[in-house]
Amino acid sequence: MKNIAVFIDIKNGQIAESSLRALEFASAWSNQQGFDGVIVYGFEKTQLEALNALNSIKEYVQIEVPGLVQNSQVLAVLLSHIQEKGISQILYVKSLLMDSVAAYLSGALAFPLISNVKELEKVSNGNRFTKSIFSGKANLVTEVAGDNFIAAFSKSFSSNLALPSGNSSPSLSSISLPLNSQSTIVENYPLTGSIPLPDAAVVVGGGRGLKDPSNWVMVEDLAKELGAATACSKPVSDLNWRPHHEHVGQTGVKIAPKLYIACGISGAIQHLAGVNGSRKIVVINNDPEAPFFKHADYGIVGDVFDVLPRLLNKLKSH
Amino acid sequence: MKILVCVSIVPDTTSKITLDSSNTRINSEGLTFIAGPYDDYALSRAIEIKDQTQAELVVLHVGLADSEAIIRKCLALGADSAVRIDTAAVDSYQVAQEIIQFAKSQSFDLIMMGKEAIDYNAGIVHALVAHGLGFNHFSPVMHLDVDNDKLTLEIETDSGKSKISSTLPAVLGCQEPIAEWKIPSMRGIMTARTKEIQVIAPSFSPKENPVKANVVETERLQKMIPVEEAESLIDMLKSENLI
Ligand SMILES: Cc1cc2nc3c(=O)[nH]c(=O)nc-3n(C[C@H](O)[C@H](O)[C@H](O)COP(=O)(O)OP(=O)(O)OC[C@H]3O[C@@H](n4cnc5c(N)ncnc54)[C@H](O)[C@@H]3O)c2cc1C
Ligand SMILES: Nc1ncnc2c1ncn2[C@@H]1O[C@H](COP(=O)(O)O)[C@@H](O)[C@H]1O
Repeated sequence: MKNIAVFIDIKNGQIAESSLRALEFASAWSNQQGFDGVIVYGFEKTQLEALNALNSIKEYVQIEVPGLVQNSQVLAVLLSHIQEKGISQILYVKSLLMDSVAAYLSGALAFPLISNVKELEKVSNGNRFTKSIFSGKANLVTEVAGDNFIAAFSKSFSSNLALPSGNSSPSLSSISLPLNSQSTIVENYPLTGSIPLPDAAVVVGGGRGLKDPSNWVMVEDLAKELGAATACSKPVSDLNWRPHHEHVGQTGVKIAPKLYIACGISGAIQHLAGVNGSRKIVVINNDPEAPFFKHADYGIVGDVFDVLPRLLNKLKSH
Repeated sequence: MKILVCVSIVPDTTSKITLDSSNTRINSEGLTFIAGPYDDYALSRAIEIKDQTQAELVVLHVGLADSEAIIRKCLALGADSAVRIDTAAVDSYQVAQEIIQFAKSQSFDLIMMGKEAIDYNAGIVHALVAHGLGFNHFSPVMHLDVDNDKLTLEIETDSGKSKISSTLPAVLGCQEPIAEWKIPSMRGIMTARTKEIQVIAPSFSPKENPVKANVVETERLQKMIPVEEAESLIDMLKSENLI
């Protein structure tokens, strides 16, 4: 028995798009590498249709957690499950929760954990991983001997394998992890209303050029019209104009949307480090010398107080 | 209380990344190296906690001797002593194993790290170390208060933020605004000169073998739209299915 485990992210019962790509890869990889099949783990209930449509999926295991997961005693139950299932490779798309779970499994199983994997390939004496490094500024290809590993896929992960045809009828099971006796949640502050920045397809960002937090109405209105998330530069969150979790860059969130619209942001290298994964970048800045223009697909030299309302009007007139 | 802060040493955030002739490594020539910015947040908060609680504060780096000046700066900021494990850090798994082995030989209550090293952005050394030692693990931590063996933390989660109550021992990955970066005082710099940097031989070898690297060049169109025609941007974005 030789299986692959894939841990998936589920939001409101739906499998995250990046997790679906990981599952498609696992299904193809399982076939190609001669694994028995794929065991899927998740922390929530989900529709099995998406899994049925893929070849080689054997089981969906729903992990019930009554409290905080990040504790070795809590996770020991999961470890035994994985060992019983004869799992030799574990795949997941990077998330805060899964990084902690995977690190535990890595230590306990002595499987090396390779982070930010963009591509995975078999080589004669082991496996080859293409990792994104320096916030996406470079790629590094590394080889790891042997066939036991945990791969943390980056959100920009891509599969070069053809999806095998055929369906599965995975069985459904669940395991319950014990209550964490050492740590408790005092309060949760969920991100409400707004679109979560890391997953947004379109992002509108504002910098110090907006002059005052009250002017963010312009950014928010534009974002709302576009179905976009809002972001900001570091000084803006340092000044408490915007919440800290909106700050993108080297020390903030790294985003990779289809479209990033940067308003009144100079384009410092530390800011670029968080946004250069964007497919297309629009820059609006009143200084033609702003460094950001060199890293823009479309640039407008102009005053945000003039341009943003005009863009909004144009959108609304459609 | 005894606190360990683990510091990665990385190219300055403004660095332009190039490759060396072997094409498996980043070219370090001409780059300025710094303590990782997140590690700096961890150290800054650890110094504040030390000042409040008279804790002992040790700084640890896994890396080669060329990093000594940066370790000295950590001492100048207020760490009591420093340890360097004398090996080139290649992967997180290797670094974590070295840290776990060292921490087992001491009795740390709190281990603070950055949420990620800004070179390889793995973001997992703290988790590996926490579970390797059987300590509680949290990352990224944005606020931290320590009261005897009780911790109150604010952490970022995949769906927002949470306030957490936990116990020591713990390993934390830190990010702003946990503390403000600190600047060493003249007195700090003087006393750091006499503080010891203990050098320990490595016990583990890396699992990852780098075979090649490439710098990612994102080609941008750099198309300028005259401000009078700003509205045409919307049509362009629509025609490209970007909105
Ligand atoms: C270790 C380190 C880590 C850092 N990490 C980050 C990070 O993660 N993210 C980040 O963003 N920064 C980071 N920084 C800070 C970074 O170096 C810059 O200082 C910051 O990005 C600048 O923010 P800004 O563009 O909003 O402000 P500014 O540099 O002040 O730029 C404002 C821009 O707005 C333009 N402007 C002004 N008025 C108008 C107007 N009316 N209409 C249109 N444009 C206007 C100006 O021309 C200017 O280009 C970091 C710095 C360090 C040292
Ligand atoms: N070579 C190293 N020496 C000491 N600590 C390190 C080293 N590399 C990483 N760390 C610590 O582990 C954290 C996470 O690193 P990483 O998992 O590599 O992104 C960093 O912010 C540091 O605090």
